[in-house]
Amino acid sequence: MIKTIIRKEFLATLRDGRLLTLGVALLVLFAGFFLASAYELQQLRAEKHSVGTTAKEQWNTQSVKNPHAAAHYGIYVFKQDTPVAALDPGLRPYIGQALWLEPHKRNLTRFSPAADQVLAGRFGQATTSFVLTALLPLLIVALTFNSISQERESGTLRMLHSLGVDAGQLLFGKLLGLMTAFSVVLAPALLLAAVILLGNFAFTLDDVLRLLALLVLLNLYYGIFAALAISASASFNTSRTTLFCLLGFWLASVFIAPRLGVVGAEILAPNPSASEFWREIKEDIDHGLEHDGDHEERAKAFEAQVLAQYGVSRKEDLPVGFVSLNRQYNDAYSVKVHALHFDALRDNFVRQQHLSHLGSWLGPSLALRSLSMTLAGMDLAHQRHFEDAAEEYRHYFINLTEDWDRERSRGTERKATGAEADWRSVADFSYQAPDIGFALRTAKLDFLVLLLWLGLSIGLLRISARRLVP
Amino acid sequence: MNTAIPVLAAQNLVVEYRQHRAVDNLNLQIPQGCVYALLGGNGAGKSTTISTFLTFNRPSSGQVLIEGESPHTNAELVRAKLAYLPENVALYDVMSGLENLTYFCTLANIRLSSDQAHDLLLDSGLQADAHQKRVAAYSKGMRQKVGLAIASAKQAKAMLLDEPTSGLDPSAANDFAQRIRAAADRGMAVLMATHDLFNAKQVADRIGIMKNGRLLEEFDAHTVQHDELEQKYLAHARGLA
Ligand SMILES: Nc1ncnc2c1ncn2[C@@H]1O[C@H](COP(=O)(O)OP(=O)(O)O)[C@@H](O)[C@H]1O
Ligand SMILES: [Mg+2]
Repeated sequence: MIKTIIRKEFLATLRDGRLLTLGVALLVLFAGFFLASAYELQQLRAEKHSVGTTAKEQWNTQSVKNPHAAAHYGIYVFKQDTPVAALDPGLRPYIGQALWLEPHKRNLTRFSPAADQVLAGRFGQATTSFVLTALLPLLIVALTFNSISQERESGTLRMLHSLGVDAGQLLFGKLLGLMTAFSVVLAPALLLAAVILLGNFAFTLDDVLRLLALLVLLNLYYGIFAALAISASASFNTSRTTLFCLLGFWLASVFIAPRLGVVGAEILAPNPSASEFWREIKEDIDHGLEHDGDHEERAKAFEAQVLAQYGVSRKEDLPVGFVSLNRQYNDAYSVKVHALHFDALRDNFVRQQHLSHLGSWLGPSLALRSLSMTLAGMDLAHQRHFEDAAEEYRHYFINLTEDWDRERSRGTERKATGAEADWRSVADFSYQAPDIGFALRTAKLDFLVLLLWLGLSIGLLRISARRLVP
Repeated sequence: MNTAIPVLAAQNLVVEYRQHRAVDNLNLQIPQGCVYALLGGNGAGKSTTISTFLTFNRPSSGQVLIEGESPHTNAELVRAKLAYLPENVALYDVMSGLENLTYFCTLANIRLSSDQAHDLLLDSGLQADAHQKRVAAYSKGMRQKVGLAIASAKQAKAMLLDEPTSGLDPSAANDFAQRIRAAADRGMAVLMATHDLFNAKQVADRIGIMKNGRLLEEFDAHTVQHDELEQKYLAHARGLA
């Protein structure tokens, strides 16, 4: 029986002029946004690649100079986005695109904590992802808000009841039939997207998996809206009431929930201000972490230790460059303090992201949006993964220059130099983005929230079926 | 089949909407082959009575019976034994008459071959060239015919008609009346709600005048004179009798 209902709903929906009109409008809209997004991504990728290469080439061609001076020349690195980011640029608008790697200091790309914003909850502007996560649910609502009330008003519901049709099968049949019709209408747009993506970007298996996972999740998300719309249509007396309620829900889910989540997260887990953040780092370096002694004490202890190690009584008699040695020691300490504070800040971003789900009781959009961002590799977790890799690379090339500085100098003199061959021997930054497993682990909570909503919407559909008045 | 048990029966039936009593202590018996016309003005409680047989409503007290069993305790009865034809037969506009028939029948667990479906529509008086057209383009009479085809496909024991001829032109109404008569002659029990005295007299075997939820008077349609019936109906309508 349910198959018959699905088939009929599918055909009826397709024949209904509304869907076709909406479908065509959607295709045009989606094509426009998507082409723009894909183009933007392509430009960005090309630009990042070219600037990255140029930056390294400039590094390579430095003149003969002190290795530490060369290190101060610095290197720019970039996070290369996956092609999936064409569907969802995620936090890109709010995150700095370049990370500047230099000695002594770890830089932030994206967050100026001063901005005091929870970036985790931010929604992009009118992008492809806006169409996918905000407009399409609206289309679903437009298609389903009167799916039952119309049958009640026209009398077919009574007809069906008199034929002994099971209300549960009717409602679930409608849900599946509508979703099938919807997929068919959406298919050309997705096909177009696939063609554009495959034509312009090199895809890895991981990218494909991420894309497919996103597609599945989007369908669950649309299913939630459809199930809720059908329930509402079955429960409310008039199509008008149903439409108003559903529009309210859509607004709440898409626009209010994220903002509410952001506000809640800001209150419950505030970020330090930028000045506070950097001041604390400086204080910890100057005064030392617990039991470490302040800067001067540490410097004295280190000098004593080095003299003992080399069996000399004066810095001037050391067989290696003390300036570099000392700098390396100080840098290591600074790295330790930076890591502590950076991790604390970023842990707080994660906490905020979790807390932002306080807004999720208003609707599933927050969770979906977050999942989509993560699968596109454009979320905080992926950014952090990249930053950690960049930080490791920073240690690698700074330490290399310090090695040259130390080995090519003696005592307190500063005579070490390096040449192009040295600069060139610094390996390029080659970043391997994490795989889909990383993304799925990151998005566990979002996924759970989405599943809860799915369960809730199916539960409501069952209840409305049981209480359906013909 | 035990003919002693009426196909449709109402026993002390009371149906209320919140405080309002729409059907008040109604007793009815409709045996096989009998067309019973519930005659009454707007708000008399005719539709509510029919709805209760179809389990769209629940009785507040008393009961309705289909071959001696209550559909409110055995929901399967409605599907198995009743056919329903409202004033406006509800069909899906974007589908053809043929598709509507097939869809409704499939949902009622009746498998129809394409030939059978066409035959049912033809037997119900729907011209062959209309079968594949979308119902949106159908007249009211054509919809009624699709409704009749569904009812015949069900091979129901009883048919419930709510103002079936209102809005039909006289010849269509006449044609429809004859089809109902024919169905009854094949053994179907028919309960028909109508405010049209002429229509009641034309098809029915028994006529009950209903007002304010009560059955006021019953007549044998074959023996009562038209004038007498008309006078009583009008008198009741004006609240004189
Ligand atoms: N769904 C309903 N809710 C409340 N009152 C109703 C409803 N349906 C009918 N009524 C009331 O019950 C009475 C009988 O209505 P109905 O059975 O439709 O009469 P008829 O079909 O004879 O015109 C009327 O007074 C009507 O206003
Ligand atoms: Mg009525």
